[in-house]
Amino acid sequence: MVNKSAQMKNKKIFQLPNKKNGQGMKSKISPASPFAKKAQMKIQQMSFMLIAVFLFFALVGMIIITVKFSGLKQDATDLRDRNAMLLASKLANSPEFSCGEVYGNQKTDCIDEDKVMALKENIGKYENVGKNTNFWGVSNIEIRRIYPKYENITCTPVNYPKCDTIILIDKPISGFDHSNFVALCRKEKYKDEVVNKCEMARVILWYEEVK
Amino acid sequence: MIKNKKGALEFSFTWIFAIIAGMFILFLAIYGVTKFMNMERNTQDAKTAMGIGVLTNPLESSFETTTRTMIGLPVETRIYTGCKNLSGFFGEQTIKVSQKTYNEWSTEGVNVSFPNKYIFSENPAEGKNFYLFSKPFELPFKVADLIYLTSTKDKYCFKNAPNNIKKEIENLIGLNPSANENFFTKDLDCPEGSINICFSGGNDCNIRVNVNSNYVEKDSKKMYYKGDALMYAAIFSNKNDYECQLDRLMKRTGQLSDIYRDKSTFVFEKTGCDFELDSRLVLLKNNAENLGNSENLNTIYSLAEDIARENDYGVCRLW
Repeated sequence: MVNKSAQMKNKKIFQLPNKKNGQGMKSKISPASPFAKKAQMKIQQMSFMLIAVFLFFALVGMIIITVKFSGLKQDATDLRDRNAMLLASKLANSPEFSCGEVYGNQKTDCIDEDKVMALKENIGKYENVGKNTNFWGVSNIEIRRIYPKYENITCTPVNYPKCDTIILIDKPISGFDHSNFVALCRKEKYKDEVVNKCEMARVILWYEEVK
Repeated sequence: MIKNKKGALEFSFTWIFAIIAGMFILFLAIYGVTKFMNMERNTQDAKTAMGIGVLTNPLESSFETTTRTMIGLPVETRIYTGCKNLSGFFGEQTIKVSQKTYNEWSTEGVNVSFPNKYIFSENPAEGKNFYLFSKPFELPFKVADLIYLTSTKDKYCFKNAPNNIKKEIENLIGLNPSANENFFTKDLDCPEGSINICFSGGNDCNIRVNVNSNYVEKDSKKMYYKGDALMYAAIFSNKNDYECQLDRLMKRTGQLSDIYRDKSTFVFEKTGCDFELDSRLVLLKNNAENLGNSENLNTIYSLAEDIARENDYGVCRLW
């Protein structure tokens, strides 16, 4: 009997809102009672706690992602660095630069200056071939004559060969570089004879840091 | 007793609220961690793919030599090499990898592109160690170095290969073959399950090379070639990739023809040295850019041979 009356009481306490009489959510615990206030406080407490926990995890996640991405940028820059370094040692052998057999037998680390000047005229197709990159994956290529020196003049078809530096891609040079020493050879006319002229130069490959 | 029940109910509500909110947070956390792990794997895959591409830089050769290097990866890896001939002017070589972690293959990573590389390999090439070797492709001037990538897991048996090929393979193997060796020229040395490359017929052949008609038959598809560099390319890749890479090579041939033509004008104005190759270089460029497929290689090669002869015996050499 006691159990039955207790069930009845419980039913009354948790009855569904009655829209007809406008007395929805009416319980026997009045809003002013200390029980209701305690429950509200607990829910409030928990909500604050949950928001705090959520924010904490979000913050930790963001910090981890930031650290990770800065590492990723460093990794990407390192790969660019390695690409430039390995390419610097082999660029002279690629078909757009190599001397081939023009100046006698095949030579290693020999750049055909006449061919590079022709390449400079045709550089458009080698630029922006992929996603913001050129054909070789470096930001610029510079060939600097070491000896004999002129007055730091950049080569153009007009002043060639009395110049020092061939900048392949027509944009300002910036970033980091790797270089290699090469022989820079060209055909010249000397006393009605066509002669081969080879000078010492440095091929410099520029790359930019990933930002 | 009634009081106790009330208390229990009040306690349960708090718990239900906490459990639902906790589950939501846990779900978000697990989702975030899974996403982060996938991102980490993709990053690792992209780094590996980029690293493989960068490591092929030293394979740029100056002479007609064949060099081989081995790259070892810390875990079992599948390397997917692809070719895009419509991207940019020169097309792109793509590399992506998938790595095995906790006995499970990661999803294929992002494609890393290289416009200046031409890699021929099985798709995918699977293993921990990979051999890379390269050969210059000339038409008639050097156009590019073709790179061949093979897994040490895939054993290739070259049966009845012509002497020059046999000698070249033996040079690659060296005097003391390593335990990872994957090229074999003697039938008796070929391990079981190896990929048989037959040069003059025979049974049990996976790849057939017809040296008289200049084609390689693989997976019942014919790939036509001229010269050893393209022959190896056809052996180690598949029809689609081979034709696509050939198209990319032709685009570069066309561009190099332009450079050599400009150079000849430039040198002529400077020195008076006449190469007399201008019109034929234009023809070479047109033929290269309109090749279509490997079946038409003969036409362009006969023109290339003609140009090569002129260059070799001229007063000045253009390349």
